[in-house]
Amino acid sequence: MQPVDAPVRPVPRPDAAVPAVEVTGLRRRYGAFEAVRGISFAVQPGEVFALLGVNGAGKTSALEVLEGLARPDGGTVRILGADPHLERAAVRPHLGVLLQSSGLPGDLSVRETVSTWQRTLTDPRPVDEALGQVGLTDRADVRVRSLSGGERRRLDLALALLGRPRVLVLDEPTTGLDPESRRAVWGLVHEMVDGGTAVVLTTHHLEEAEELADRIAVLRAGLIELSGTPAEIAGTQPSTIRFSLPADAPALPALPGADVVAPGPSVDVHTRALQADLTTLLTWAADHDVELGGLQARAASLEQAFLAVADGTPVPTR
Amino acid sequence: MSAAITAAHAPVDAGPSRVSRTLALAGAELRLFLRNRTAVVNSVLLPLLLVAAVPALGIGEEVGPVGPQLVVTAIGVMLVFLTYYNLLTTFVARREEQILQRMRTGELTGLEVVLGIAAPTLLVTAGQIAVVALGVAVIGEWSAPVDVVLPVVALLCGAALMLMLAAASTAFTRTSESAQITALPLLVISSSLCGLFFPLSLMPEALATAARYLPLTPVVELSRLGLSGRTWDGDVVDLAGAWSAAPLPLAVLAGWLVVGAVLARRGFRWAPRR
Repeated sequence: MQPVDAPVRPVPRPDAAVPAVEVTGLRRRYGAFEAVRGISFAVQPGEVFALLGVNGAGKTSALEVLEGLARPDGGTVRILGADPHLERAAVRPHLGVLLQSSGLPGDLSVRETVSTWQRTLTDPRPVDEALGQVGLTDRADVRVRSLSGGERRRLDLALALLGRPRVLVLDEPTTGLDPESRRAVWGLVHEMVDGGTAVVLTTHHLEEAEELADRIAVLRAGLIELSGTPAEIAGTQPSTIRFSLPADAPALPALPGADVVAPGPSVDVHTRALQADLTTLLTWAADHDVELGGLQARAASLEQAFLAVADGTPVPTR
Repeated sequence: MSAAITAAHAPVDAGPSRVSRTLALAGAELRLFLRNRTAVVNSVLLPLLLVAAVPALGIGEEVGPVGPQLVVTAIGVMLVFLTYYNLLTTFVARREEQILQRMRTGELTGLEVVLGIAAPTLLVTAGQIAVVALGVAVIGEWSAPVDVVLPVVALLCGAALMLMLAAASTAFTRTSESAQITALPLLVISSSLCGLFFPLSLMPEALATAARYLPLTPVVELSRLGLSGRTWDGDVVDLAGAWSAAPLPLAVLAGWLVVGAVLARRGFRWAPRR
């Protein structure tokens, strides 16, 4: 963290025994519909945990309990060891929340908005520091009504960071931001994490999850379908070798365990043994003097894994 | 409380008090109100028109100064048409703009958010009643009140009740425009049966008795007892008489405050319906 961000209050040593966020068997129900059907995860100080999932997967419903805005219908949530709803007063000074969408009065200026919020917090940053953090210093005297969508989102973020939170909950932090602002937000999250803050975020942008998250959980219909590091999650899907064959090519070599899809001259090989199968293919091509046109070989991306789960394709286990 | 938070919390100075948090929000809300020229002009104009209407209509010339009755009217009218209606539309507008939900993500408690947002309306209510009182004094229609405690209690409890009923009414008010409909029960029924616009004593006895249990009626009764020294059925009373007529309206008002608090807690909604 930058020196300017150094907290005034003594930051307690992260307590290894108590995770910053601990969710156990969380359920949420709206009438007969169960939006969250028993999910569990824990986030340590200095760690970023991303919840992925299509709209309606239950991400926001789960976060609302972490934020203390809703009671769970089952299971427990602990923020720094305390219940965010029942022990609100203890949790709130340490919790920063960015809602997926929320409003601000349009007729206050940016500075007035931040300083009003600041006066309600236990240990706030100075207003100028908060504005500088999100690049709104030049817009301080502009009415909120006149801000662009991206500027408004950055103001939201400034308010979420204003109380120097030890736990930060970000519901789609960069939706609607241009690529440059998005990178700036990523930088801020990295800074907070370096200072020991635990972050739980949701996002639709898989590259955002890859960039920020130490661990990811993919949520589908209220259940965690898949969780792990971005690399582990991507690894649940096979790698792909793609090339095209000349018409007179001899039969391909045997690739045990691989799934060869060859509708015409172009061939897709889905394999969990990328290096071995690629070696077999290249050796075969060299031996038979065959040119593999447009040869590509790549490991599965997080996006592939995400789409597989979001589509409901069963996830193969290794 | 967990060891983790206690340990973290111990070295930290206590944050701003509940009062200063509420004042921070109230200050911002007041600034917003002052930036709304239409609202400011309306709230100054309304009480002045009420006072100006007295000589124009030539009322009250036969029964002595009409001032106290006009202040009673101001209390009743302002509480319903300004405090209740304005608060209802403000709460609903802030909810639909998703401002309420955001306020709840910070350290402010729900009660602090509600009071902070209500502050400008409550101040304007007090200001308007003061303007009417001042106005009648200026046009020479003032007379000393029989008792000041009863009207002050009526005004404070009445304002609190209107705040609670407005909070409760957000449960069935989807937009600030639909408040024009959902506010009607209180705006029309309760205010027409509170004894301001026509005397309860002229109503059939059963209706008059029922009317005395409506939320606004005890506020008007208590204000009138103190300011004009008249009971609900028109008897002229002194200080002792005013107090001996007060227990029923006081009890009704207290009852409504309890009902209002329960309804507000159960009915107030923080987020738009999805």
